[in-house]
Amino acid sequence: MTPNYPDVVQWAVPVFTAAILIEFLWIALKKRGGRYETRDAVTSLIMGAGNVAAGLILGFIAWGFFSVLWHITPLDLGHSVWVIVLCFVLDDLRYYWVHRFGHRIRWVWASHVNHHSSQHYNLTTALRQTWTGTFTFMMVVRAPLILLGFHPAMVLFCGGLNLIYQFWIHTEAINRLPRWFEAVMNTPSHHRAHHGRNPRYLDCNYAGVFIIWDKMFGTFVPEQRDDAVDYGLVHNIGTFNPLRVAFHEWVGIWKDVSQPGLSLRQRLAYAFAPPGYSHDGSRETSASIKAKHLARHPEDAGTPGFASGARR
Amino acid sequence: MPLDVLLVLVIGGISGIALLLHLSGRSKLLYMTAEDARAAWHRHVPDDLIQEVTVASNGHAALVTTQQGMGLVWAFGADSVARPLHDFDLLDTKDGLRIAFHDFSAPEAHLKLTEAERDIWRSRLRPQ
Repeated sequence: MTPNYPDVVQWAVPVFTAAILIEFLWIALKKRGGRYETRDAVTSLIMGAGNVAAGLILGFIAWGFFSVLWHITPLDLGHSVWVIVLCFVLDDLRYYWVHRFGHRIRWVWASHVNHHSSQHYNLTTALRQTWTGTFTFMMVVRAPLILLGFHPAMVLFCGGLNLIYQFWIHTEAINRLPRWFEAVMNTPSHHRAHHGRNPRYLDCNYAGVFIIWDKMFGTFVPEQRDDAVDYGLVHNIGTFNPLRVAFHEWVGIWKDVSQPGLSLRQRLAYAFAPPGYSHDGSRETSASIKAKHLARHPEDAGTPGFASGARR
Repeated sequence: MPLDVLLVLVIGGISGIALLLHLSGRSKLLYMTAEDARAAWHRHVPDDLIQEVTVASNGHAALVTTQQGMGLVWAFGADSVARPLHDFDLLDTKDGLRIAFHDFSAPEAHLKLTEAERDIWRSRLRPQ
């Protein structure tokens, strides 16, 4: 029997709307704490609606995969509160790695890139979510959880809670929180750095809920007061069309992979190497962007984001 | 949640927020001076050596000439987008020019130009 876990993301929709209105009114009244732009916000909201629709249409693929795993595993940890808490923590570790893959493997980046495609950072940006996550096959990263005996419905429930947690950190209205909280939890400050296109902030702070994963795996970069976050992509897109936002990197992969005269290895690298790979070195990866920045600003060497030279 | 309720919430929420933002003046396009355009170009291409910047009279676009070639920086909502000008089509419109990039992520830029500006920009932009 499938236990009855609520679809918390759907139930959170009214809360999302109310929070966006509150953030906007705060910014409008205080004249600080972020920016809103009509078409940018509408695009983000449509991407969020499309993400829910994609889940309704394609969710059966991941669910079918998880059901097979649940059928073959001999383990069942049950549904106690402590099992749910443990599942939430382990699923957050799963999120960290999926998110890291999402920035370091172009195939996964093609899905995740749209979340970073806004040059704004407000609560609508949180809802600028992928429509194509199913095609990355990152559901396999959840397989260990289910094989360990966490019920698939519980795993998806925890994933939903994780997504809801991440909603409120997409804001400039909150500066920094108490030190103990910033030390353990992902916060607006940490996640602002993650959304930065500044060389310093490329490929950092992949955490969902607990920032400790970045500290454990060496990807933590604190937001710097003297390096204001510049939001968006290294090469910002010039369209508010949700279809183009959702699919532009997939189109880019296809154009790169299908160009004539490449070896099989080069074609595979265009699909699976880090974003910015090119067979002729004509494009920039995050490593080369950091290296060029350090060539222009050697004084930044050794500071957060450039801690071990250009090869972070 | 029933699907019809979810649909009403989503469509109502998006429409309401869009209306609120537009009526509160959040639909204004970025206005650039020559210095702004220079900074906007360097934001996208930090290593380029800029030789000349020509800003449209409405401040919403600029032609940027660099040692690496010519580029366009244009208002994208309240922000800017930049692209080098080496693979595009140029089309006349009733109030200026349209640049069609062969780029799925930035398909086109509509440039509102005066008649005099249009002639100058057209001659400079004519694809080689």
